Amino acid sequence: MSAALARVPVILRSWGNTQFSSLLGLLIVAVAVALTLGQVFAHGATYFFQILVIGVADGAIYALIALGYTMVYGIIELINFAHGDVFTLGAFVSLALMPMFGVTEGKAGIGWLFPMILIALATMLICGGINVAIERIAYRPLRHAPRLAPLITAIGMSAILEGAMYIWRGPFNLHYPDLLPDVAINFGPIQLSTKDVIVIVVAVIMVVALTMFINLSKLGKAMRATAQDRDAAQLMGIDINRTIAATFFIGAVLAATGGIIYGLYINNVTFDLGFISGLIAFTAAVFGGIGNIPGAALGGLLIGIIGAFNNGYFDSSWTEIIIFGILIATLVFRPTGLLGMRVPEK
Amino acid sequence: MVRARGLSVLIVATFVAFACGSTSSGGGSGSKGEIDIASDLPVSGADASSGLPTQQGAQFAVDHAGGSIKGFTLKFVPFDDAVNGAHDAQKGVQNVQQMLANSKILGMVGPFNSGVAKAEIPVANQAPLAMISPSNTNECLTQTFDYCQSANGFTPASLRPTGKNNYFRVAAADTFQGPAMADFALKAAPDGLGITKAAVWDDEETFGKGVADNFAKEFTSKGGTVVDRKSFDPKSKSDFHDFIASAVSKGAQAIYSGATSATKGCIARGEMTAAQASSIFYLGPDGIGDGQCVKDSGSNANDHMFATQGVADATQNPSAASIVSAYKAKYTQASDIGAYTFAGYDCAAILIDAIGRAIDANNGNMPTRQQVLDQVAKTSNFQGLTGTITFDQNGDPTHPTLQLQQLKGGTWTFKAQFSQGA
Repeated sequence: MSAALARVPVILRSWGNTQFSSLLGLLIVAVAVALTLGQVFAHGATYFFQILVIGVADGAIYALIALGYTMVYGIIELINFAHGDVFTLGAFVSLALMPMFGVTEGKAGIGWLFPMILIALATMLICGGINVAIERIAYRPLRHAPRLAPLITAIGMSAILEGAMYIWRGPFNLHYPDLLPDVAINFGPIQLSTKDVIVIVVAVIMVVALTMFINLSKLGKAMRATAQDRDAAQLMGIDINRTIAATFFIGAVLAATGGIIYGLYINNVTFDLGFISGLIAFTAAVFGGIGNIPGAALGGLLIGIIGAFNNGYFDSSWTEIIIFGILIATLVFRPTGLLGMRVPEK
Repeated sequence: MVRARGLSVLIVATFVAFACGSTSSGGGSGSKGEIDIASDLPVSGADASSGLPTQQGAQFAVDHAGGSIKGFTLKFVPFDDAVNGAHDAQKGVQNVQQMLANSKILGMVGPFNSGVAKAEIPVANQAPLAMISPSNTNECLTQTFDYCQSANGFTPASLRPTGKNNYFRVAAADTFQGPAMADFALKAAPDGLGITKAAVWDDEETFGKGVADNFAKEFTSKGGTVVDRKSFDPKSKSDFHDFIASAVSKGAQAIYSGATSATKGCIARGEMTAAQASSIFYLGPDGIGDGQCVKDSGSNANDHMFATQGVADATQNPSAASIVSAYKAKYTQASDIGAYTFAGYDCAAILIDAIGRAIDANNGNMPTRQQVLDQVAKTSNFQGLTGTITFDQNGDPTHPTLQLQQLKGGTWTFKAQFSQGA
């Protein structure tokens, strides 16, 4: 082994050297930050905060999707590619429920608030149920199969969900009612809209609630135990199937929340929205450290901000290249992500 | 026994084959044969709102001709180039290959989208099959500019392997559609908008980028400033708040959206605040001048929105009135009339006219595709619903006319008409 290594040129060997690759990664980050700072100073503070708020709002939505990816990965080491489509389903289901609860666009006041909360709860239940069913049908029978098998059924499930939504509502952009009050709030150079604030606050509440649930509840403890060592957890009397189903349910609840606040913020949804949003959220989960819950929230936030900064200050055609460049760079330079992967100790 | 049964099957099959043969020749009795006109348009999915009315216009022209031409039966054979709800160049090519395999098809109406035309022209060119598009507007499909190869990846010559032209259109090119909107934006009110600063976006497609570049070029050369130039990928871009913030911070008085409503051309309008929507003009090409755009704009769909249409408004043409009203009597829904319905009619009518002349030139016999193509190229002073049409050597109309529409009370209404070289 060492003899073979000796024949490899020094420069190539240094790729495997953690110090060298972290240094190169740091250098790239430093150049990007310097370029961005130049642009920020050229365009003034008001614009900077505007773009920042947009980035945080986008990032909050990505974070909600990324949490589902990371939770499922943490517990069964599966990249659930259907998760992005559960997010779209959240938007579609809530849109379909609105007429039943009498919620329409343009109603003055906050009369929509109570029915909207009911709609959100119903949507969460429906999406959660569907995600649990997906796990039961497509992933549980393959739990002991090679890891490629459930990955492929996940891609299949994603295609099925997209196809079903296409048949249901067609390929058009669907208009999602603009319900959130849009009042400007000014703190000096910081100009916010109530819409931005609501999106960010809802996302923060969900992330905090999830973290508390995982850390404090009995089921959360069971989930952590299952993630760490499934067999040992089972021996200790934890119902593995129920715990995994609960993980899928909670992931879908977060994605459905994401879908609803996406609809309320962007006001347009299409059936294939989940594909690319899912990939970006997956990137966020890897960036933050897949399997790591605060990491997914941080990764989502950063990806949102990076995307908005690139659109606001640089050439927008590069946004996707940069986001997926980050995915590759993370895997090459820091495969454990920003906050570190939660690797089961086996 | 087995062998005997096999023989009887063979005999029955032979009888059936003969029976079929005699039925089809019987159908043609009293006729010298059948001539088909095909169409290739996106008539399902997101593009259907503009593709289907265009197909109905072409169908109506064939029906209007009475189903026969100089002793031949005339039929209309529509094809759909939409896959999974969106126009698809590869599907268009397959459709053209099917047309080529059917010797009765002597010409086609379409395609609708410039990106589809780019893929179809080389295939049809080798037959050669005459194509007349009601709505393709990318200038590089017919005209050679030094930027065609670098910006679009093709030139008129590279699309025509035989070196001869088989492609025609009745719509005005983007070299006219983009600049017409730029001129309108710069002109003082009430004949224009009287603005000098615009943000220009495109959807990274052949059509969208082409028309946006042409708008920007004209706007700048006539004294305006393009304060912000951005491109987006319609598959992933759905949050336009950052684009809007960027345009607003740079003082844009108008946004030119070089896109179609199928490529999220009007989503951004729906994401503006009410204050932004009432002060910023939203301009675009024919791609956003449809009902989907109005829906996507939500409560921000107001009279600050303008779109060009690549053809003249047939309802402004007094000599078209009787056919237009006959069409409206047959197709009664508001959605049955799109911007290119009567352009579709004109394309089919030009083909029928050319086929008639080709039959005459061939002493009353079935003409070849080449003979039909030759006659289409000779089309001169054809009295169409959208104007008088003469094709130049590139296949473009010599005097393209387009209209500019304003959104009023939820419908796109005629605002102005522009003619080139008239």
